[in-house]
Amino acid sequence: MRSKLTLPRESVDVGPEEALGRSIAAGDRRALAQGVTLVESARPEDRARAARLLETVREREPPALRLAVTGTPGAGKSTLIDKLGALLIAEGQRIAVLAIDPTSQVTGGSILGDKTRMSGLLSDARAFIRPSPSGSAAGGVAERTREALRLCEAAGFDTVIIETLGVGQGEQAVRDIVDVCLVVLLAGAGDELTGIKRGLLEVGDLFVVNKADGAGEPEAQAARAMYESALGTLQGRPTQVLAVSALESTGLSELRRAIADRFAESVSSGELIRERSRQRALV
Amino acid sequence: MSEPKKPASGTLTREGIEVQPLYTRNDVAELLSDETLPGVFPYVRGPHATMYTEKAWTIRQYAGFSSAAESNAFYKEALKGGQRGLSVAFDLPTHRGYDSDHPRVLGDVGKAGVAVDSVEDMLVLFAGIDLGEISVSMTMNGAVLPILAAFIVAAEESGVPSARLRGTIQNDILKEFMVRNTYIYPPEPSLRIVGDIIEYVSLKLPNFNSISISGYHMHEAGAPADLELAFTLADGLEYVRAALSKGLSVDSFAPQLSFFFAIGMDLFMEVAKLRAARKLWATELKRLFNPQDPRSLLLRTHCQTSGVSLASGDPLNNIVRTTIEALGAVLGGTQSLHTNAYDEAVSLPTDTAARIARNTQLILQHETGLTRTVDPLGGSYYVEALTEALLQRAKSVMEQIEAVGGMRAAVERGLPKQMIERAATERQARIDQGKELLVGVNCYRAPEQEPLAVRVIDNHALRKVQLERLSKLKRERNAADVLSALAALTEAARSSAQNLLELSVQAMRVRATVGEVSSALEQVFGRYQAHIPTVTGVYGTPLSKDPEWLSLVTRVKAFAARHGRQPRILVVKLGQDGHDRGARLIAAGLADLGFDVDVGPLFSTPAEAAAQAADNDVHVVGVSTQAGAHLTLVVDLMRELQLRGAGNIEVVCGGIIPEQDHAALIASGVRAILGPGTRVAESAKVILDALEAHAPPGVS
Repeated sequence: MRSKLTLPRESVDVGPEEALGRSIAAGDRRALAQGVTLVESARPEDRARAARLLETVREREPPALRLAVTGTPGAGKSTLIDKLGALLIAEGQRIAVLAIDPTSQVTGGSILGDKTRMSGLLSDARAFIRPSPSGSAAGGVAERTREALRLCEAAGFDTVIIETLGVGQGEQAVRDIVDVCLVVLLAGAGDELTGIKRGLLEVGDLFVVNKADGAGEPEAQAARAMYESALGTLQGRPTQVLAVSALESTGLSELRRAIADRFAESVSSGELIRERSRQRALV
Repeated sequence: MSEPKKPASGTLTREGIEVQPLYTRNDVAELLSDETLPGVFPYVRGPHATMYTEKAWTIRQYAGFSSAAESNAFYKEALKGGQRGLSVAFDLPTHRGYDSDHPRVLGDVGKAGVAVDSVEDMLVLFAGIDLGEISVSMTMNGAVLPILAAFIVAAEESGVPSARLRGTIQNDILKEFMVRNTYIYPPEPSLRIVGDIIEYVSLKLPNFNSISISGYHMHEAGAPADLELAFTLADGLEYVRAALSKGLSVDSFAPQLSFFFAIGMDLFMEVAKLRAARKLWATELKRLFNPQDPRSLLLRTHCQTSGVSLASGDPLNNIVRTTIEALGAVLGGTQSLHTNAYDEAVSLPTDTAARIARNTQLILQHETGLTRTVDPLGGSYYVEALTEALLQRAKSVMEQIEAVGGMRAAVERGLPKQMIERAATERQARIDQGKELLVGVNCYRAPEQEPLAVRVIDNHALRKVQLERLSKLKRERNAADVLSALAALTEAARSSAQNLLELSVQAMRVRATVGEVSSALEQVFGRYQAHIPTVTGVYGTPLSKDPEWLSLVTRVKAFAARHGRQPRILVVKLGQDGHDRGARLIAAGLADLGFDVDVGPLFSTPAEAAAQAADNDVHVVGVSTQAGAHLTLVVDLMRELQLRGAGNIEVVCGGIIPEQDHAALIASGVRAILGPGTRVAESAKVILDALEAHAPPGVS
């Protein structure tokens, strides 16, 4: 992979954002990392630069799969992404993961530790993982994430996964920038379909009950059936819920197929095209 | 833990015990009745009736570095110098089940202990030492099967049958998940290994301790005495259950369980800890498992003076600290003792420092009259009352652990680690604010100091020797025998019908390596990586009005405004060193100041850390290093950052780095080196200085 220390400024006709955009498109990982920093920057003057950068990057053809993974904290989202990512890489894909971690509203700081749960992807050059602090406004997260997502697509990643906080903030906004939204659930946590959980169920296209392993297996299967019936009522149509174990890598190929089916469905129905234009209009 | 009480008239300790200015008979009226004899249940005054009056504690110094041959020479000198038992420190690759030729362990071979890859190394390690006479303690938890197996085979080949072997294998995996991180497999198969070892040792090594249930590392990670005591004994109960589940009777193995505690500077608290430990273990074991053999109830323990109490500032002070701690261990009634060397806050001990450390115990044994009578503090109003108060605190923590399903369940949820981390962070905040005084560290600092002479390990030369030894071994052994022995191990890992130590002995005998045995099991068990969330808010909250802290907060805010984002740091440990207390503390402290903190996974290679820093586009990488591998690993990290076009990322190092190495690190591009005991605020200041001076504003 090509790398460089500073942005090339070889021509007066090519501004630094254009050069950065070219480097990103050429697969320069460090340029992608710096591009993400630029679109996430809170400095007013960087907004204009980010806009210029985004103008230079072209939409990917065929479109990348944009997948959101959400669910309550502790549901095992990161481990599931680690295993699912490995599966996609085994198919020959390159994948990017944009993980959003909470910013402390008191100190403004954050702990961005999710990579430690993605140890498989972390040591794989075909994966790009970038955790980002949520900052202060939930809506703003979605906007910046959408731009980072476009940069990842421009860099040639086949699937871009967005991992959200899962605390009932901004899930709807993230839903609007992806093609498929996967909700990760746990057994024993769904007796009351209120508040956070209900919000999560409303944004999802696909649902899995994780940790269907060992002694937890029967409970997970029971929860799966319970969610399936609750979702049928909620969405007014039959909705499949899968039971998986990220830990033991079971149920993952079914999940992979379900994601692919859902994506293919929206491509063939024209829904994806409409959705992308709608998303572009949001700029 | 219950809510800390506000002291009425006394002093509130870290354990939440209110110590009164004066103790009288009234404080112990209910305690002294039936507990006045050592060697009698509940053993509060000592596990044996005569204690040191007949035989003083065993002077057992923990040591090991470089090659087996060099460590062997060191052991022989130590035995000549008055040491009574050996205690082997293995290097980190060995702990984590990697042979010296594994690509992940380049910087760690022979650094923080001795490299042992096979029976051949074990034979060299103990050459000329009679294993039937000298007892050997081995600190090994992760790769415990191949190492104990290699020891058994090496003894057997030098003419000492298993039945005559005396000593201890640490074999305490639960605390690794809490604090020390030199585990290999997930908790469940790890506990099976513990059970298999207890079983095998009870049958074939009757004079050997099958486990050393350790609170030491919890103490070092910052646990107060109540947590150290509670978690250690709760671990012990979990191991008893693991052995019982194999169908053993409690009396067949319980007499071979031993313990290991740290002794810090809170003198009477530490004495009380050992006394309370004996009573609590005996009563709990009796209550839960009702053994018939009284030896099953005895808590016999090794102690080591506290490593974290040592300071790099004015290091000769450490001799005084170690002496006081050693006194605490002896007054508490330890069975064996390691005293730290004064230079260990900086590097592995030099020969001089090691001799003074050993002499500290010899002086206590021969010059003080300490061994004349048993439990000289028995009946002291204060010590007896403190013993009971601490016991009650520990007992209530143990009840909390039982309530969540025992120690294994608690460890899997990360509860003990977080409780320890909270207590440690609170204490560090007190030290950093000058509310707890450490002489030569945060007060009465020495004006000028000469750098200490340190022991230097030539890691590259050693690795070359180990690689040659490994390739010779692999040339000369019968490959088919090795393959079938390893296949048998993998099979046994699947079925749990056979004893894994038995099969490991067979594999090591035909010259399988430590790495091969570990990997044969890893195929079934997998390699584990713990995920414990960092505790934030604990460090910064008490400082919210501190002027120095507030000025740093202001600088962070100004940086964020100028750069469009918070200062972002990757805090990372490189190599196989799992001591993450310092890294986690600095991560939590900087996040409390307003940094965005990426926490790198443990056991990263320099290339992995550089990739993470580059992809996350951090401003600075903070490397925490404790195990002496910094020269190799940090220089590699700098090169890897350059390769990724990330040479503009600042690098600072913290941890145990001798003065002598500073120049080489700075020459490689490291911006600053933060010694042990550097306050979070000082570290933050250095990091901000570097960022403000070198990071161009905005997005470059």
